[in-house]
Amino acid sequence: MAYSNRFIMFLIVLFAAVGTGFFSYAGQDLERLDPWAFDSPRRPGAVFSHDDHIFLLDDDCSVCHHVYENGELIPDESSEDLYCSDCHSLKPMPDNPMPLEAAYHNLCRDCHFDRGEGPVLCGECHVKE
Amino acid sequence: MNSFIAFIMGPMVWISVIIFLGGLIFKLVGILGAVRQKEPYIYSYVTLKHSLRSIGAWLIPFFPRSARLSPVYYGISYLFHILLFLVPLFLASHIVLINEAFQISWPALNDSVADVLTLGVIAALIFFAVRRIRVPEVKYLTGAMDYLLILVVLLPFLTGFLAYHQWVAYQWITVIHILSGELMLIIIPFSRFSHMLNAPLTRAYMGSEFGHVRQARDW
Amino acid sequence: MQTKENAMTDTPSAVEKPTDPAIESGLERLTPERIRQVIQQVLKKETGPRFKAYVETCMRCGLCADACSYFLSNDRDPQFMPAAKVKNTVWQMLKKDGNVSRDFLRRAVRISHLECNACKRCAMYCPFGIDIAYMMLLVRRICHKLEITPQYIQDTVNSHSVTLNQMWVKDDEWIDTLQWQEEDARDEFEDLQIPLDKVGADIMYSVIAPEPKFQAGLIYQAATMMHAAGMDWTMPSSPGWDNSNMAMYTGDNEISGRIARKFFETAAKLRVKRIVMGECGHAFRSVYDMGNRWNSWVMPPFEVVHALAFYHELLTQGRITIKEKYKKKVTLHDPCNVSRGRGLHDKAREVVNLVCKDFVEMTPNREHNYCCGAGGGVINCGPPYKGERMVNNRVKAEQLAATGAEVLIAPCHNCHSGLEDIIQHYDLKMEIKFLGDLIYETMEKKIYEPEA
Repeated sequence: MAYSNRFIMFLIVLFAAVGTGFFSYAGQDLERLDPWAFDSPRRPGAVFSHDDHIFLLDDDCSVCHHVYENGELIPDESSEDLYCSDCHSLKPMPDNPMPLEAAYHNLCRDCHFDRGEGPVLCGECHVKE
Repeated sequence: MNSFIAFIMGPMVWISVIIFLGGLIFKLVGILGAVRQKEPYIYSYVTLKHSLRSIGAWLIPFFPRSARLSPVYYGISYLFHILLFLVPLFLASHIVLINEAFQISWPALNDSVADVLTLGVIAALIFFAVRRIRVPEVKYLTGAMDYLLILVVLLPFLTGFLAYHQWVAYQWITVIHILSGELMLIIIPFSRFSHMLNAPLTRAYMGSEFGHVRQARDW
Repeated sequence: MQTKENAMTDTPSAVEKPTDPAIESGLERLTPERIRQVIQQVLKKETGPRFKAYVETCMRCGLCADACSYFLSNDRDPQFMPAAKVKNTVWQMLKKDGNVSRDFLRRAVRISHLECNACKRCAMYCPFGIDIAYMMLLVRRICHKLEITPQYIQDTVNSHSVTLNQMWVKDDEWIDTLQWQEEDARDEFEDLQIPLDKVGADIMYSVIAPEPKFQAGLIYQAATMMHAAGMDWTMPSSPGWDNSNMAMYTGDNEISGRIARKFFETAAKLRVKRIVMGECGHAFRSVYDMGNRWNSWVMPPFEVVHALAFYHELLTQGRITIKEKYKKKVTLHDPCNVSRGRGLHDKAREVVNLVCKDFVEMTPNREHNYCCGAGGGVINCGPPYKGERMVNNRVKAEQLAATGAEVLIAPCHNCHSGLEDIIQHYDLKMEIKFLGDLIYETMEKKIYEPEA
């Protein structure tokens, strides 16, 4: 049971990863986010390793793939089946105060600051292509 | 490292902006108070009309005769001062940071345009340094402090340029970029950079003496 | 980088120049404590935020250089640029907190008294409007308090102090001279008078002491114009008649204020409506701009009318008519104290065009005119310095020569004397005249009658 759950989860992650546009980066396990949801991105997509994050977060997908309702974080619920841009519109909206760009920046950088590890400067994620 | 970066990108920004703005305000209040106490006659002569007339005349490109006598230096200096404010304030990367901190934003310069303008600032600073070495009358006045001031302005622009291109030691370059930008802000009130406050005041006074008492032009 | 020591030693010429007995004996009396105490007193107690801003704000850009006739005349030698003069005086004094040497002070006297006319042209070339002339006058103030002011100009101040006029003119000589000019002028106008002490007259006419001393003809001309124009005027018979003020230029502010005060009191005693003065620049500055301030008036307590504005009034109101315009080609020198100092350059041009047929501008002109090199007390430092004064104003000679004019109009005493020397030294083949000379020459010698 546990095994098949994990397998399903894996498939979902894989699906989501392809959907949101992860692709293999430089032959390592580093991937580059495809900023397809942005109209004309000024920076190349951020570079990161999904595997490392799964490992570092002890498989708790909801840290990133979170669910908010009425501005409240719903604990223990996750949203791997959605694109980030499904909720985070490009501009702040009444039902979504957090625009897409800020959602990424805040989520990644704040966590990296809090944990004291991981890149925090612009060019450390948005590595030049 | 992250906690250090968090400090220079967070509290340190506040500290430098407060020192910069607070320093200038403190200075302005100090000057106005000292004028009232020691040279109250200045208030008898300064008029808003003539102050603005003089400052305005000196803001029109190549309008003062002095500017027309040194068109290259004056022109470069004029553009330099505009870019000095324009580039950092309208740089996309800076606006993103401000937007995330305060949820306010404004249109940004195109990155490659900003890149060229940054090179412009760097080129202007190099020109200033060369001028200090090559032009005898400027050389005569120049001291170590003048080169130091050029360096203080050069650093944030040069490291900003390098950081954007991510050629070498990105993390270190960016850290120096942040620190040197903050350093520049901090020393403005305590160095000759305070001419951003003093110059309009001295110009206003001289403009008023010329316009009001002397009934002559001062440009 | 130019170090302090360099700044001092790179001016060896200062040592070779002729020395002034007043400066030398004054320097010998000085002790380091006295020097320090005086410098600190003047720079700390007698200045305020204005001085502080000037010192703090200069960005060493060098734009003031092109403003200075000394710099331009000395093949762009940096030590003659305005900011360099501040560097070699005030900056050093501040840096060393007043602990400067006698050699330093010898140089400081020369810089402030002989290498700056306080013409304020540089204030118009500094983007920040830094007033270097003011700082040079501060240095002169320090020199005055240290008693190392050049001999000749100090003598004029002594004269002011004793006689309230600049040239040791005795009270009876003054009245004698006026009566002598009145008598002479009666050849042209039989009942011409120079009314003395006429209480309640419209105008008090005032001159500088050099006029009665050796240019009495100017009083004659002025009396002729006043008479022909039918003005209600008077001249004071007692001290207070001289509007010159050399103490203003030596930093002897106390005496300077006393002179101006006496002058205004004289006008008040005569209860005149306004003061008209002859063609002198510094005198105008002393009563229009400086003396009133020392005596706590924002603006002068009387309407002060410089000759240029007065001529303009007489000619445009038709009180004086020109018989036949002056024919020779003339050019006009704009004195700092009435153009840059009072914006009278346009009126001056109107007058010149009313009086002369052929007027040619010198360039640059109006507020931007090159200094005569004599004003600001420089010519008053006397004959020992005439030679360097000629070298230091080559640019003026070139400017004059370029006009091709036969006659140079210099409506200011200092400019007139200084430019006369320039014309002679550079062999410019020009005549030099006051504007009053030309009006007197060309005017109709008849008394104005208002149309009924």
